[in-house]
Amino acid sequence: MLTKVYENLIVQTVCRIMVPFIQVYALYVIAHGHYSPGGGFQGGVILTASLALIFLAFGQGAVLGRITRRMSIILCGFGVFIYAGIGLLCLLLGGNFLDYSQLAPILGVSIPRARSLGILGVEVGVGLAVMAAMYSIILDIAGSPAPGIDQLTPESKK
Amino acid sequence: MLTMINLNLPANDICAVILIISGLFFFFTSTLGLLRFPDLYSRMHATGKGDTLAVLLITSGAIIHHGLNLNSAKLSLIALFIFIANPTATHAIGRAAYRCGIKPWLRNCKTTDSGEPQK
Amino acid sequence: MNTFFLFVDLFLGFLVLGCLYRVVLGPTTIDRMIAVSAIGTKTLVILILIGFIFGRVEMFVDICTVYALLNFLGTLAATKYFEEKGKC
Repeated sequence: MLTKVYENLIVQTVCRIMVPFIQVYALYVIAHGHYSPGGGFQGGVILTASLALIFLAFGQGAVLGRITRRMSIILCGFGVFIYAGIGLLCLLLGGNFLDYSQLAPILGVSIPRARSLGILGVEVGVGLAVMAAMYSIILDIAGSPAPGIDQLTPESKK
Repeated sequence: MLTMINLNLPANDICAVILIISGLFFFFTSTLGLLRFPDLYSRMHATGKGDTLAVLLITSGAIIHHGLNLNSAKLSLIALFIFIANPTATHAIGRAAYRCGIKPWLRNCKTTDSGEPQK
Repeated sequence: MNTFFLFVDLFLGFLVLGCLYRVVLGPTTIDRMIAVSAIGTKTLVILILIGFIFGRVEMFVDICTVYALLNFLGTLAATKYFEEKGKC
C-alpha cells in the first residue's frame, strides 16, 4: 500500500524546504551531545527522520536514488570503522582503548582538548552508523523488496 | 492564594502574560471545537487553525519574557516550524479523509440511504 | 511568574484530557489522528513552559524541536495508510 504514490504537491514542497534544515539540526544534536540532550544516537535517528520524510513524500525510488542499499551498508561499516579506528589509534599510541589523552601529541593540543575532540569524533562515527542502520530498517519494514533478493521465484514465473 | 498575586511586574512580563492568556484562549476554543463540531472536516478546521495560532502566541510571550537571547532565537525557530508543519499535516489528513470516501456534513439536507443529499 | 506558568500548564493538562475524549470516542480513525496531533501540539507548549519553571530553558527548547518534528512525521506517516477507499 505504500507503493502507491499519490503526488501531494503541498507535502512535497514542504518536505523539499525542510529536509536540509532537519539535517543541519541533526548535526547540531550530534555535536552538542556532552552539553545538552543529544549525542550520537539521537542525532543519527534525526538524520534518518529526514530520509524518512523524503520517503513519505516522494516514494521509494527517490530515496533509493540518493542512498542506495549498498551505500547504506558501506556507511554503517564506515561509522563503526571511525569508532573502532579512534579506539585502536589510542591503543597503538600506548594507552588503553579509547584513551583520548594519547591523541594530544598528534593533534598538537592540550590533553583536555584532545579528550573533547576524541569524543566528538566518536560521536560522528556513531551517528553515521545509526543513520545507516535505521535507514535500512525503514526500507525493510515499509518498502517493497529489491528485485531478485528476497524472492525465491522471479516475478515472471509466478 | 489570591494575596500572592503581585502586580509590580516589569513591562515585558505584563506583555508576556497578555500574550500567553490569549494563546490559552485559542487553545480552549480549538479543543471545544474538537469536541463539539458535528463533522470530521469542521473538527479539522478547528484544530489546524486554532492550535497553530495558539502556539505562535504562547511562544511569542515566552520570547518576550526571556528577552533577546540565544534561547529566544531557538524558540522562534520552533514557532516557524509549527507555522509551516501543522497546516501541512492538517492538509494531508484532510486529503486522506477525502480519498477515503468520507462525505462532509450538510445541515439542512435530508440524506438518502446511500448518503447523498436529497433535494 | 512561576506560579502563573504552573497554572497555565495545569489548564493545558485539562485540555489534553478533553482531547483524549475524542481519541477514545472518535467515530473514524482519522478523528483519532487529528486528536493525537492536537495532543502533541499541546505537549510541546507544556514542555516549553516547564523549561521556564525549572530555569533550564536550553535543554527543554532542544527537546521541543525534536518533538515537533516527531509529531509532524508521525501524522504524515499515518495518513499514508488511508489513501485507499473505504479503509477507515
